[in-house]
Amino acid sequence: MKTIIAITLFLVATLTLASRVEAQVLIIANPSVKATEVSKNDLREVFIGNSTSLPDGSRVVPILLKAGTAHEEFLQAYVGKNDNAYRAGWRSLVFSGQASMPKSLDTDAAVVEFVMNHQGAIGYIGKATPHEGVKVLTVN
Amino acid sequence: MKRLFVSALALGLLGGGGGVTQAQSLDDLNIQIHGYATQGFLYTNQNNMFTTSSSNGSPAWDEAVVNVTAQPTQKLRVGVQARYMLLGNIGNKITLDWAAADYKFNERIGVRFGKVKTPSGLLNETQDIDPSYMWALLPQGIYALTSRNSFLSHYGGIAYGTFRLDEKFGKLDYRVFGGQQLVGADDPAISLGMQGSPVQLPNGWSGTFLGGTLNWKTPVKGLMIGSSDWKYQYWKSLATSGATNGSQFSNPCNYYWNYARYEMNKVMVAAEYTRQPYNGGTTFPGSATNTFWVDVRAWYGMASYKLADKLTIGAYHSQSFDHQQPLQPARYSKDWTVSGRYDFNQFLYTKAEQHFIDGTELGYDSTMNPDGLKPTCRLTVLKIGVTF
Repeated sequence: MKTIIAITLFLVATLTLASRVEAQVLIIANPSVKATEVSKNDLREVFIGNSTSLPDGSRVVPILLKAGTAHEEFLQAYVGKNDNAYRAGWRSLVFSGQASMPKSLDTDAAVVEFVMNHQGAIGYIGKATPHEGVKVLTVN
Repeated sequence: MKRLFVSALALGLLGGGGGVTQAQSLDDLNIQIHGYATQGFLYTNQNNMFTTSSSNGSPAWDEAVVNVTAQPTQKLRVGVQARYMLLGNIGNKITLDWAAADYKFNERIGVRFGKVKTPSGLLNETQDIDPSYMWALLPQGIYALTSRNSFLSHYGGIAYGTFRLDEKFGKLDYRVFGGQQLVGADDPAISLGMQGSPVQLPNGWSGTFLGGTLNWKTPVKGLMIGSSDWKYQYWKSLATSGATNGSQFSNPCNYYWNYARYEMNKVMVAAEYTRQPYNGGTTFPGSATNTFWVDVRAWYGMASYKLADKLTIGAYHSQSFDHQQPLQPARYSKDWTVSGRYDFNQFLYTKAEQHFIDGTELGYDSTMNPDGLKPTCRLTVLKIGVTF
């Protein structure tokens, strides 16, 4: 019984700490996207390929970073998967004919430029990255 | 003819899509090429499985897949995917996985047509996409390795979409589909299923069906519950016995699947049940009809845990019974499985799996086991895969 209580307390503590990790990333979108805020769940649905629009009807296209700190923090905070598992999920959609792989860019600056110039594009960047020309979405 | 028509139409759209958008750059068309290849190794302590010489250790399990897709607009996507597969005495040829055009009007309605993956059960659409899951072999009672080509896809179409319910009730994903299924004359479903019979199906086995899938993404985060149903129409194909021509038919029937999956952080738990009953017969002039009746009921429960960033472990138990078979090991198959997958990086992975199988209903070829089958068997599977 003591073991069960100890394991339960450990799991609760772990989950509590995990939920307090704040992502050091900004969610950015092309100004054509009507929404100004997005729920964590809706953001996840878009970035794992389950959804192509936000609840307000804005059609969105996810843009990824190939690697790096912002990419890892985004996946940890908003998707809940590591890079291997995340890309495996996309592969199941691609190889079953349900989706195309999202565009992956090398740098935060490239993401800003792409999102700025493509209607409906939505991406993520490090908080320190300059981001003129795109709108920042609040995640709630 | 219909099959050729829908495939030609889908492929025409692939070409036409490029034609009407000549002003666009290749980058704007978002043309992508992806693929993967796997090499498997099978070892059994007794019995030979999947038409391989697995009791001696067999590396005769290879797959290679390439797909090309283009997305000229946000709503239109076209693509084609080819597969090479070798499994013991099965395959060793290139087949068309799918060739389809997809138009998504909005979140609630999209259509896909051509040769399309059939979206039923928890894993039917993705059961042959090795890089996408951790198992080397999925539960064979529902996702038989030897019957992939015939039942994974159909010629016809799918309508699909998602409805957001009130926040308290989650989301509903639906798929409605129909068309023609074609089981080729050389497909293991026929070549293994009719082994020892003087009857042949020279044109294969084909017919039409309709189906639907409903997945409820519940308000409990990570929990999805779903159900699928296929309605087969009356099927009839040419049958031969020596020089005599006759026909084989199956009566309208209904297959269904019920399933649930829970995924949260590092944990995945899933379960699925299916029942697949069908009956029919073979008729030749001047002879009484030989009838057949199959009633397969299968289920599994599985769980996996991401032990480290690159390492996932899991286990499942699956059972399959043909309720029309007499009480003997050939009536059932029960399988306890432990498995692990290690991802070296996002392109290269390996899998190792151990099966403890009781019963001989699934996965055996009598010509590879001339001395008969032992009722139990241990199967070890190793696999390595690369994807891009």
